[in-house]
Amino acid sequence: MAVNVLMPQMGESIFEGTVTKWLKKPGDKVERDEPLFEISTDKVDAEIPAPAAGVLKEIKVPEGQTVPVQTVVAIIDGTGAAEVTPAPASAAVKEEAAAAKAKGAAAPVAAKPETKAAPAAPAAAAIPSAPAAASSDGRRIHSSPLVRRLAKENNIDLAQLSGTGAGGRISKRDILAAIAAGGARAGAAGAGAAPISGGAIAVPRERIYFGRYDVAPMSVMRQKIAEHMVASKRTSPHVYSIEEADMTGIAQLRARVKDEFEKRHETKLTFMPFFLRAAVEALRAFPVVNSSVDGTNLVMHRDINLGIAVALETGLIVPVIRGADEKNFLGLQRAVNDLAERARTKKLKPEEVLDSTFSITNPGSVGGLMGLPVINQPNVAILGIGAIQKRPVVIGDAIGIRSMVYLTLSYDHRAVDGAIAHQFMIKVKTSLEKWDEEIL
Amino acid sequence: MAQTTYLEAIRQALDEEMARDPSVVLLGEDIGVYGGAFGATQGLLARYGWERVVDTPISETAIVGAAIGMSYTGLRPVAEMQFMDFIACCFEQLANFAAKSHYRWGAPVPIVVRGPSGGGVHAGPFHSANPEMYFVHTPGLKVVCPATAYDAKGLLKSAIRDNNPVLFFEHKFLYRRVKEDLPAEDYSVPLGQAAVRRAGRDLTIVSYAAMVQASLEAAASLADDGIEAEVLDLRTLVPLDRETILASVRKTNKLLVVHEDTRTGGMAGEIAALVCSEAFDDLDGPIVRVTAPDAPVPSAPALEEGFLPNAAGIADAARRLAQA
Amino acid sequence: MQLTLTREQQLELYYFMRLNRALEERLDRLARQGKIVGGLYSSLGQEAISVGSAYALEPGDWIAPMVRNIGSLLVRGYSAREIFTQNMGRANSPTNARDNASHLGDLSVRHVVSPISMLGDLIPVMTGVAMGARFLGQKRVAMTWIGDGGSSTGAFHEGLNFAAVQRAPLVLVLENNQWAYSTPVARQVPLRDLADRARAYGVPGAIVDGNDVLAVYRAAKQAVDQARAGHGPVLIEAKTMRMRGHAQHDPAEYVPKKMMEYWKARDPIARYERALTVGKLWSAADKKQIDARIERELDEAVEFAESSPLPGAKEAGEIESGVYCEGCHEIAPEWQRAKEELLPPKSAVAARWVVNDFGAFEEHAPRDIVMQTAAPKAAAKRAPARRTAHAKVTKSSKARKARG
Repeated sequence: MAVNVLMPQMGESIFEGTVTKWLKKPGDKVERDEPLFEISTDKVDAEIPAPAAGVLKEIKVPEGQTVPVQTVVAIIDGTGAAEVTPAPASAAVKEEAAAAKAKGAAAPVAAKPETKAAPAAPAAAAIPSAPAAASSDGRRIHSSPLVRRLAKENNIDLAQLSGTGAGGRISKRDILAAIAAGGARAGAAGAGAAPISGGAIAVPRERIYFGRYDVAPMSVMRQKIAEHMVASKRTSPHVYSIEEADMTGIAQLRARVKDEFEKRHETKLTFMPFFLRAAVEALRAFPVVNSSVDGTNLVMHRDINLGIAVALETGLIVPVIRGADEKNFLGLQRAVNDLAERARTKKLKPEEVLDSTFSITNPGSVGGLMGLPVINQPNVAILGIGAIQKRPVVIGDAIGIRSMVYLTLSYDHRAVDGAIAHQFMIKVKTSLEKWDEEIL
Repeated sequence: MAQTTYLEAIRQALDEEMARDPSVVLLGEDIGVYGGAFGATQGLLARYGWERVVDTPISETAIVGAAIGMSYTGLRPVAEMQFMDFIACCFEQLANFAAKSHYRWGAPVPIVVRGPSGGGVHAGPFHSANPEMYFVHTPGLKVVCPATAYDAKGLLKSAIRDNNPVLFFEHKFLYRRVKEDLPAEDYSVPLGQAAVRRAGRDLTIVSYAAMVQASLEAAASLADDGIEAEVLDLRTLVPLDRETILASVRKTNKLLVVHEDTRTGGMAGEIAALVCSEAFDDLDGPIVRVTAPDAPVPSAPALEEGFLPNAAGIADAARRLAQA
Repeated sequence: MQLTLTREQQLELYYFMRLNRALEERLDRLARQGKIVGGLYSSLGQEAISVGSAYALEPGDWIAPMVRNIGSLLVRGYSAREIFTQNMGRANSPTNARDNASHLGDLSVRHVVSPISMLGDLIPVMTGVAMGARFLGQKRVAMTWIGDGGSSTGAFHEGLNFAAVQRAPLVLVLENNQWAYSTPVARQVPLRDLADRARAYGVPGAIVDGNDVLAVYRAAKQAVDQARAGHGPVLIEAKTMRMRGHAQHDPAEYVPKKMMEYWKARDPIARYERALTVGKLWSAADKKQIDARIERELDEAVEFAESSPLPGAKEAGEIESGVYCEGCHEIAPEWQRAKEELLPPKSAVAARWVVNDFGAFEEHAPRDIVMQTAAPKAAAKRAPARRTAHAKVTKSSKARKARG
């Protein structure tokens, strides 16, 4: 096994060394403690013995080169007794940090998570007072952290108050007086009262902690999901388009070829790749549904990367199939199965939950008739697939029993209008109902 | 029965601990026959003998070093610095030997280094200092600063019984000026617990040692203006009772810290940082410090009076904070 | 222990010195393989002092080693494993990787006080240890070492002064190895014999050949017995030579080659081997056996240390634990006298001074300042080699600087 040979630190104030001579060449046999190379430093020249027995595999630092201490200068292919190169503490810590990052990247994040569950930073509530209107003096509102917190907790707009503190500052007694006076108004806040600037509305704690209760702290994943959902709703005006598709043909096809397919390709055959393929075709036809919004720009993604929502015990995660439009049916099925499996066993890599352009979720897999999902930022739409159920439907002038599914599209009205959304959905429906591709 | 002075309370603590535990020994300059430069060890040589009350040469390094060595054999030495200013002479032994001993090789150092610190007696730059912060900054040491006779006795007992090196900064101005009735039975005051000396609701004044008395005076005068100040006595700087400070600030929403020590690097900065990070949203005003200026303690009475914080100055600052 | 040693004991002296040297050779090798954490200080050529002096102590006595006294740790029961893990910064080292070199200690069993890096501070501390032991009625001695350079510090003076005034049972072994880092002893102290300092403290001072382990042992034994009997501290100056640089990184090119050769010929281990052979105390086979045993012990110890874990995330997460002792130690002194002696009424004394010497001039022999009337060059003749040993910037280090 490979053993690293290091540039040693010959003294506390020495930080680099020069390799002056290699006493062995790659391929030579080397005994443990046998002189291997010579170095020169600021203070001392030294002969360095080999840290392990074996064969000198590779010299990484040639004669004459100066490197920092602890640099790997050569590699020995170790033989014999286990030469333990214990993982230096820094490496162990780095691994743990990387693992933590992978977990943390789980929820598709647009908003940066806060590290403390503190009330929103004062910056958010530093209200720019009246816009440049003639009467307003555009002054900054002087208060204090305490005052701002109480204002937020009680739904009070500081711009409406005048202060009796030093320099006209809104002081504690001012805000307490306002709270006492405006108590009733604060109670009606929930029914769409005056718009609140900046952050989320905070309900006073005594309205939450009452009677008997247990407190269960949110896991990190839960917190991130919460943040993302709030942010998504705040960012995109959500509108919904609902369609119904006849899956009978696909259901029959699947039933017919399922065993053969699974035997031949060693992977489960589900309904998902049918929906993915239909979505891809619709996205090709209506590219604006595959975009992102940045201020006043629509970023039209040329790649089609499908985010597939996977339910976990502890929350949800959205791994991404990159280049879904370049995959065939089998490729899509394999990708879906693999990502879902690794999502559940926590083996996803951080880059696998990034860069989606459109997302798909499947409330039907747990029996939901249909769902109205939250858009996965920074996409502008998300397709929800309901449960496939047999229903009586009108065919021509008769009633038949067909396998039907409700499809819903939540879309961001900044980028996508109703006409496009409905046409998109009709295209999806048509692709599914007229499936003619061979999948085996 | 006559009340017990702060100094007598210290002497009682030493006496009672020496009676209770034969492993308690004293070392210092002039502490034996003379009874200590301030009389803190009066009568103890006669009671406990030459082995337990050791008059040393003028060698703070040897005094504290020997105390450390004795503590390694299981004794509980109490070393006196004739003036706490002289603790600078044995900084090495405290910062590098005592403070790091348990951390490095699991060897506790149950010593107490005690002595008079502080100004107000026109003793000049080398007999009036407040050197506590060098040691607050050194992990491994504990720092105690009593403000009352009751605490001087109770905290010194806790310090002697503690397994860690404890620096016990007595305030010489309080030695004979502060007195109260003390309980007859054995009692101790735990380290790390601040005391609310006066409850209030408009602002919190945090202090320690002689400035606690000044703060209480200031609070009385503030009350005449309808301002109710809460006065906290830290009692120990390390370990610091963060919870009591934070709870008080959460209640009053305004904080003023006063200490006799100089401004830069003083305890007030440390407390201000603590409160800003833990209770920022409970602050209704800036954190105010009232301290001595950044200069050595001057000798002449008029100069020293201008140098040290006092009740009037504290009240002024508090009034401005309350009205801000 | 007698002043004369049995054959087994004499062989043991060889074992410890050879173990000391071989162990340090391994440490040197490990350093050049990048496996040592912190500075590495060699006691090459000085093994007889560490081993000979520590050997004179009884169980229960205290030592405080300096960085060049690994030999004393071995004599007093530390294993090679502990020395290796300590120097390699392993999580299971005697200091849990929080310190390096010989900065380790054991209060409860082996009575070893850990040094700190600053020199001289051990002397007041070991004075306290000696006083504490005496206070508890124990008949124990504290021993520590200091170098010629370390004897320049204030702590040396304050500590020895206090020990002397208190007549503490302390033995201080001053290793005059001629060099304090790059400073020759002539620049460090104005004396040729550091034992002369003892007179300033009113304590006996002995000079001994530091490279003769039996001489060191005998001097130490006498000093230890003397201290134990209550006659106060003793200063022993052991004359020797530092055969390596100050630490791993120091090639010591400032030391004249001739001086190195002079002392190489006086190597303590080679000398002792000859003495054992001439005295017919051992055979070549005996030596081979001891040497082989040492190699095996060291092989095992190095392997143990190399496979010991480095501190990781767990230790890093507990970085503030142990700064204070909170309920982790029960401090219980070992009383060997009746406590009643120290409590009232038995402890009561008349608190007044008894002054025997009023200190007046008439009671002392007059003394004038002794002027140097002889010409300076006559003085130089008295102590040749030492006076001309200056620290020089050597060619090779200059050349290295030029290379950049």
